[in-house]
Amino acid sequence: MTEATLLQKLREGEGFALIGKRLQRLDALGKVLGLPLYTSDIAPRDALKIKVVRSTVPHALIKGIDTESAKKVPGVLAILTAHDIPGINEAYALLPDRPLLATAKVRCQGEAIAIIAAEDSETAEEAGDKVRVEYERLPAVTSPIEAMKPDAVRVHEGGNIAKYLKIRKGDVNEGFRQADVTIENTYKTQFQDPTALEPEVGMAWLEKDGSVTCVGSMQTPYYVQTGVARVLGISPDKVRVIQATTGGAFGPKSDEMPVDTCAMSALVARKTGRPAILAYSRHESMIAHTKRHPFVIMLKTGATNDGRLTASEALVVSDTGAYASLGPLVIIRACFHATGPYVIPHVKTDAYCMYTNNTMAGSFRGFGSPQVHFAAESQMDELAKKLDMDPLDLRMKNILRPGTLTATSQLVDEACGLEECARRATEAAEWHTRRREFAGDRSTFRRGIGIALMYHGNSLGPEGNDYAYVHVVIKPDTRVVVRTALTEYGTGAISGLAQITAETLGLPIDLFELDRPDTASCQETGPTVASRVIVIGGRAAQIAAQKLKHKILIVGADLLHCEASSLTIKNGLVSHLQDERRTVTFQKVVEECYKRHVSLTETGYYIAPKCDFEAETSQGTTYQQYTYGAVVAEVQVDTELGIVKPPRITVAYDVGRAINPLSLEGQIEGGTIQALGYGLMEQLTHVDGVVANPTLGDYYIPTSLDIPEMQTIIVEYPGAVGPFGAKAMGEPPVDLPAAALANAVANATGSRVFELPLTAEKVLSAIRKAQ
Amino acid sequence: MKFNVNGKDHALVVGSTERLLDVLRDRLNLKGVKEGCGTGDCGTCTVIMDGRLVNSCLILAVQARNRKITTIEGVGTSEKPHPIQKTIMKYNAAQCGFCIPAMVLAGKNLLDHNPKPSRDEIKEAISGVLCRCTGYYKLIEAIQDAAKEVSGVKV
Repeated sequence: MTEATLLQKLREGEGFALIGKRLQRLDALGKVLGLPLYTSDIAPRDALKIKVVRSTVPHALIKGIDTESAKKVPGVLAILTAHDIPGINEAYALLPDRPLLATAKVRCQGEAIAIIAAEDSETAEEAGDKVRVEYERLPAVTSPIEAMKPDAVRVHEGGNIAKYLKIRKGDVNEGFRQADVTIENTYKTQFQDPTALEPEVGMAWLEKDGSVTCVGSMQTPYYVQTGVARVLGISPDKVRVIQATTGGAFGPKSDEMPVDTCAMSALVARKTGRPAILAYSRHESMIAHTKRHPFVIMLKTGATNDGRLTASEALVVSDTGAYASLGPLVIIRACFHATGPYVIPHVKTDAYCMYTNNTMAGSFRGFGSPQVHFAAESQMDELAKKLDMDPLDLRMKNILRPGTLTATSQLVDEACGLEECARRATEAAEWHTRRREFAGDRSTFRRGIGIALMYHGNSLGPEGNDYAYVHVVIKPDTRVVVRTALTEYGTGAISGLAQITAETLGLPIDLFELDRPDTASCQETGPTVASRVIVIGGRAAQIAAQKLKHKILIVGADLLHCEASSLTIKNGLVSHLQDERRTVTFQKVVEECYKRHVSLTETGYYIAPKCDFEAETSQGTTYQQYTYGAVVAEVQVDTELGIVKPPRITVAYDVGRAINPLSLEGQIEGGTIQALGYGLMEQLTHVDGVVANPTLGDYYIPTSLDIPEMQTIIVEYPGAVGPFGAKAMGEPPVDLPAAALANAVANATGSRVFELPLTAEKVLSAIRKAQ
Repeated sequence: MKFNVNGKDHALVVGSTERLLDVLRDRLNLKGVKEGCGTGDCGTCTVIMDGRLVNSCLILAVQARNRKITTIEGVGTSEKPHPIQKTIMKYNAAQCGFCIPAMVLAGKNLLDHNPKPSRDEIKEAISGVLCRCTGYYKLIEAIQDAAKEVSGVKV
């Protein structure tokens, strides 16, 4: 077999028993039956209810906190302020900038000041209303651009820059000299609320030995353990954290809020000796938790008359609100992806993560990528317009292909399916036909079509140590338990780990069970973020499975009197590869292992190779592999009212390897609609630092009536890192839809909206301006 | 107050301001009824009351007097799930799962009244329940598929 046909077979997934199969998730039955799974469902009956008193102003000195009348409300058991914290009053994810409870100052609306524990929620609520906080208002800075000015209000003493990063490749001035056309535009994006259907919730109780157990809705139990231990002033091993079934997360449940809910519950439990639960209201959640960073992106792009990109200069500024959360990492990813997936010889990018007195932004699916792709892809269409080219042709002249270099001069490897994604998405969407059909349409309801392309660096890259531990246990009755502190919060990725383990072990999936993530039984494993579970966790699962397989085969070989290397596990049997009669049941080998005290508990550990990007030179490898994709959106614009409807969307992604195409489609579809909301309707509005629409009655997310006809195309160019070549696919589906919609609206109306979301007001004003 | 929940009669003393949601969750221990917003916007607290979908966070418990309520606990069992529960599993349409009890009830209520719904009728029927994970596509497919079983078409 030639190497090419071998690769082809590998691509087609030939020889896999389970990889690439549309398998059911392992956690489905409890969910469809509505069993009590989530934190609030399993709270102890005697748990105290917690109410948090939060700042109502964006920037102020706290002159006094009067809790006297609140204390008198019958049923109130404890009122705690910063003075009652026995450990360190910090609840940060990255930079030590955020107290759990404010002391002398509040820097944004919604900052926690006091916590009240009562027998029931109504009492806690009533007492909360009676806490009087005396503020001395300070001037607030609520625009990241204003925050950059030297005389701006300082949010923190160290200044307003939470992170700065640059890229310098080639000589940007030379690049612009080579350009025949240069365009310059400013793009803006908004706060997007993640709106997991289950708001933040955590609970805690004391154990008899004085240790604390926390249960909550979260992505990363070990972050919670560290955070709670810090606040309580005890050793982390005295804090046990268990992830309850989590009703959606999308990022914010990885960094700060699960620390808040669990730490506040633990403080109350310690003070009162009673279990305590803190469940955010939706209103509270929308103000307090982290949202998608708003960005201001100034782009200058140069190209030759025949459409070769020569230079890109970008200023990328994010608004992280009053506290950094993971903003400094979000800006890194944004900076790396700011050019879009194109070959540009001369690049200059400056990226700033700025503090303001707005509410906190942080981790959110996409992590800086949707913002910069919106800008870069809008810019490509503006450039195409200026060059009088088809936007698809302009892109195809410049896209990343194997052998080209990214903005940081990383060599693009063979695992780059961008061209195929663009080709297949545009074919399926009938790009050329539709463009001709829509051109020259002057009716009131005008149709348009837009395209956007992306690349998405997988996993953490330079954002952190990229490792995972996965434990696999074969029980005496041959059930296999997969256990890890990586968490399930909706994606199905943990079922994917079981699928990878089953494939590697040669066992059927119905033997598999998933254990609850629990710091008492799972090794610390890094955060469950950045679509890491399959790519990095999957490798760890493979390693654990290989170790177990090795043991099974050695014991099997002993039973069959042959070499372990001549055996395989298939269909519940351990059999000789050449002589099918020499066989023993898997069950028998497992029993034998237990009899001989051969442990069938194994841990797989995997750490991704380091990326050699250096901040100093701003060049090098930023991520070990990339996901690529193309989205084509069609819109219908009511040119009298400005209302945009999206009748059709076509997406193609190079996923490396589809482990479970059914779950993968679920990720792509869900991400597309979350991003459609981002593009068309979602905006958490701050007025002078105060959130104006923190309810789902005022902040709209897409319903079943808002979704377009959708086609998903899966392209597979196996990546270098992920198991079986799998690439990250949790986050990438949110990167492009807003950009494709913006380009479709510009195609329909002839006038561009430079700011998300594409509301009727903005679309209409752009149309009017062009007239 | 008397009412029937999942086929069982209950007699309870309830406060005049108690929400149906809290009575179901806290007094009858029906934890499948979720609270996602408390303002009637997200629909995760949806239950069926006398054949109609209601947001149990917006209904006072006393309004359920002499009514018949169905919650997710009254639909299907692990041995015999409702056709919609089976197809939601088949399509991996339950991701985080928080909206699923309400989605199952919305789908079931639709099929109870209209065993052969069009795609648009399905979209309309579940439009009161928000889902942030699936983009609704797999849920719609699941209900379409379940309709075939309910209306006797061999799947």
